[in-house]
Amino acid sequence: MSDRIIECISLYKEYISKKQKADALIDINLFINKNETVLLKGRSGAGKSTLMNLMCGLIKPTRGKVIIDNNYINDLSDDELSKLLSEKIGIIFQNFNLLPTYTVFENIEIAIFPKSLKASLVKENIMYYLEQFNLKGKAHLLPSELSVGQQQKVAIIRTLIKQPSIIFADEPTGSVDDETAGEILSQLMNFRSEKQGTLVIATHGNIQDKIADRIYIIENGQIKE
Amino acid sequence: MKYLIKELRRHSARTIASISGYIISTVFILLSLSVALTNEKSSFGILKGTGTHFIVYIPTNTSCCVNCNNEDSKGSLVAEGVNTIMLTSDLIDSVKKIKGVKDAAPYLLYKLHEPKYNADISLGGIDMNNIATSNNVCAKTNLVSGKFLSDEPDELVAEESFAMAHNLTVGDTLKAYGGKFLLVGIINSGIKPGKADVYASIGNVRRTLKEDLKCISPGFDMNIILVEVSDSRMQSQVISQLKDRMKYFSISSYNCYQPASQVMTIIGKASTLLTILIFIFLLIFSVKTQLTSLMERSREIGILKSLGWSNTRLSNQILLLSLIQALTGVISGILIGFLIILLLNSNQIMLFNIMEFNFRIRVIPVLIAISLSGGLIASILPIIKLYHTKAGDMINNFK
Repeated sequence: MSDRIIECISLYKEYISKKQKADALIDINLFINKNETVLLKGRSGAGKSTLMNLMCGLIKPTRGKVIIDNNYINDLSDDELSKLLSEKIGIIFQNFNLLPTYTVFENIEIAIFPKSLKASLVKENIMYYLEQFNLKGKAHLLPSELSVGQQQKVAIIRTLIKQPSIIFADEPTGSVDDETAGEILSQLMNFRSEKQGTLVIATHGNIQDKIADRIYIIENGQIKE
Repeated sequence: MKYLIKELRRHSARTIASISGYIISTVFILLSLSVALTNEKSSFGILKGTGTHFIVYIPTNTSCCVNCNNEDSKGSLVAEGVNTIMLTSDLIDSVKKIKGVKDAAPYLLYKLHEPKYNADISLGGIDMNNIATSNNVCAKTNLVSGKFLSDEPDELVAEESFAMAHNLTVGDTLKAYGGKFLLVGIINSGIKPGKADVYASIGNVRRTLKEDLKCISPGFDMNIILVEVSDSRMQSQVISQLKDRMKYFSISSYNCYQPASQVMTIIGKASTLLTILIFIFLLIFSVKTQLTSLMERSREIGILKSLGWSNTRLSNQILLLSLIQALTGVISGILIGFLIILLLNSNQIMLFNIMEFNFRIRVIPVLIAISLSGGLIASILPIIKLYHTKAGDMINNFK
């Protein structure tokens, strides 16, 4: 019990649009232990992204609870949630969510901005990661000037540089070539082993099951037994 | 601050649009105020002088000269066709102390039947250099021919109608009031409450009544007080205070001060209303701009929230952005407005060369305060929206 870092209890999510209701998640119960790699597998639209957003407090569940690191995430104040997101949780979005008008450097910088670090330390850190991901000469470019794979790398650097204890990665290799996918997975696994972090990866099936300690299969908003 | 400046520069089109809104509003307020001030100044200049004067006297049923020794002095001190009692000149000082009184002057009006002319001739003794005299009796500006009165003894000016009736011209000698007077000028004073047939300086009239007509009256100073108020809106208040001080006073005024006062009040209120309306326009525009900005930035702000940016930090950013835009807009607007006013006053534009536009320095802090409060209020709604929307919903644009 003490190893559990994430737990979802009877989690429901409904989307209501123009008086129409759609059940995105139905009665989700799961747990994830510290230093585990967990795969959330399912087809597109199965509810994986919604579940990840609920687990990191980006949206509110219709019913049910999410516990992260002994915190009921929906009961946290705005400031407490911000602290959790800036210090413990890293999110890699399916569509990268890079800010289009910010340079590569600035897109990474905004992730550690809440920590109010010294400018020289921030620059040193960012340059280190850019070098690790073969993006050293791209710091001043806009996301639109990068390839899709490079954009995904920037999104991953933006998450890793915060040194979180949990990373939620939504289809991190979904739109990149095999070589880049291998590079990205390798970096994520390094995070897990070096930082003793917890890794939650949503995938439609292009990531091998063998990297996972636990796999949840999601179909039509429900966990398949 | 670094991201604040970057934010302003990155979304330069939006920033320019927002700042332009403040500039347009500020210029509009500035020009409207200028037009209102010009209008106020011009119309107030006219209206302030409309109905700002009246005369005060105490009527009686007996002539002051019933006991005079001289048989020729069968006249009387009069005002508006009735006999009056003599007043002492210390009353002038107490009238001047009443709030709203601009000036007061003594007036000595005597009417006497002159068999030579077969007419009642009224002689007004005036304090020549007083605005109360100018507006209640006559002034140098009323001169038709000749010259106006000086301090020379035995000088007279006559009303044009009187001169015409008795075939008098400038330079003629008028034998009346027990002496001879030189007619130095002819005036047309129009309709005035203290109008007489002929006028002389009050000193000369006092001397004539005392020495030539042998009138006996204690404190032989004046029988009418001429009063000028500073603003027609003050007239009712001044009259009321005079009545309180002396209930026997009869006060005669042309009631044109009432419509003038009403018009001035309407102009004053219209200017205030116009400023309030423009402020509301500015506020609605600013709120709309800030809300649109938040909508456009919704996804960006959601991403920042997901990275751990707190609502407080983001709120401060929205507030500061709004205030910077408001401040930049209002300062630019003041400069542009000032240049436009200079241009309008340069007489290059034919349409406006009959008007002088005013720029009052003291409106600058008011404009800055209005714009900053507009910026402050404009950021409230976006901040409330920020607090009530989860990061994921902002990223996915769920309302």
